[in-house]
Amino acid sequence: MNCRSAKRGHNCVDEIVRDGELSQFEAHQLECESCELQSSDLRAIRSALQMLPPASPPKDLRTRLRVTASQERRLLLEEDGSRLLRFCRRWKFRLNEMMRPFTIPATGGLASSFVLFSALAFTILSSTTGVAYEVPVLGAGGINANLVPVELRSAVVLSMSLDWNGRITNYVVRDGSGSFVGNPNRLESNNISLPEIPSVLAMAQPVSSDIRISLTPIVYRQ
Amino acid sequence: MAQSLSGDTSRLSILAGAQAGVSEEDARILRGLRAGIEEAYEELIERYEQPVYGMVYRLLGNQSDASDVVQEVFLKVFRGVNSFREQSSLRTWIYRIAVNEAHNHRRWFARHCRHEVSMTDGRAEHGGSLEYAPDRGLSPFEQTLEGEHRTLIEHALTKINPAFQTAVVLRDIQNLSYEEIAEILQVSLGTVKSRILRGREALRCELTHRPDTGLAEAMA
Repeated sequence: MNCRSAKRGHNCVDEIVRDGELSQFEAHQLECESCELQSSDLRAIRSALQMLPPASPPKDLRTRLRVTASQERRLLLEEDGSRLLRFCRRWKFRLNEMMRPFTIPATGGLASSFVLFSALAFTILSSTTGVAYEVPVLGAGGINANLVPVELRSAVVLSMSLDWNGRITNYVVRDGSGSFVGNPNRLESNNISLPEIPSVLAMAQPVSSDIRISLTPIVYRQ
Repeated sequence: MAQSLSGDTSRLSILAGAQAGVSEEDARILRGLRAGIEEAYEELIERYEQPVYGMVYRLLGNQSDASDVVQEVFLKVFRGVNSFREQSSLRTWIYRIAVNEAHNHRRWFARHCRHEVSMTDGRAEHGGSLEYAPDRGLSPFEQTLEGEHRTLIEHALTKINPAFQTAVVLRDIQNLSYEEIAEILQVSLGTVKSRILRGREALRCELTHRPDTGLAEAMA
């Protein structure tokens, strides 16, 4: 036996060796001082570990364990042998264990998303408030106080501005060669009449208070 | 002194007294736990509180951490008693849970609290050595010397590789058989023997490499 194989023989400090190994190991120890020293050191360590006094549990541990036992016993009795309840409870416990590390990050994420969404919602609300208008353009067959005094010769472009209440504050009608700038104070009602153009009420709900509409009179289309 | 064995390693279990399955005593406790009988809970705590605490304390080296882990261990035992298949002894099963919980705790501690510094050292926290040192008629000098030796060993035990430390604690402090340790750690018998041997070697190195003392002085 050499020093390398004698290493396995150090198990003899544990009283666990195979047949023949002990005698070989003891013979080697007589020749090799370092193996003998190592073996005696290991024996000393084992005996020192065995002599360590048992650590006494703190006095409150027994109380804590009893409280835990009492709670678990109560839950067990509440289940009353129901496999479904036991299954749910087991999975709830596992889920709690699994989700515990994510609690703080998830709460933080939820809170930050709530704050960001609140800010975004405020922006959306402020930009869309009061812009649901009906486009006040009327077709006119005869004389009308709001009739735009232009002779339509081609397609026209009607540009108008509305206030937050949907009232016309400004309007201009342009055709191929000329234009007419209207005075909103002279309008009898909140609409504009264009000759030879049918009503286009409630065309859309524009997202801006400045509206630009391009219209082609029927006669020109034909 | 060492005694020889003939035959293969499976015979070691006979010498060590390991047994497969639960004993009659364990079966009675298990039946009581499953039926929700208060005495069974009390008996389980009575029987396993000290050994489980002792083992966890040796693995973690901190009293309050050990208490928390022991409570977690018993909680898992109470909740898992219905799923325990009784293929190992109750003690082995509880010890396996305890070892796993201690390792989990150590991993968690290493990840989250490694930069924290305790306000009290281990001895002071444990309420002093006199609390658990029985009076064996030693003189004050001998008691002090014994306390110093114990501190050296305990300190060295916390310094070695956790895998080796666990095997050494289970074998040399808890006095479990090789078979039981293999079952608890879920490794082969050869691995257990190797870990124990290497653990003791590591302890020896840890003790002899101290600049101010040698193993002979520490163990004297």
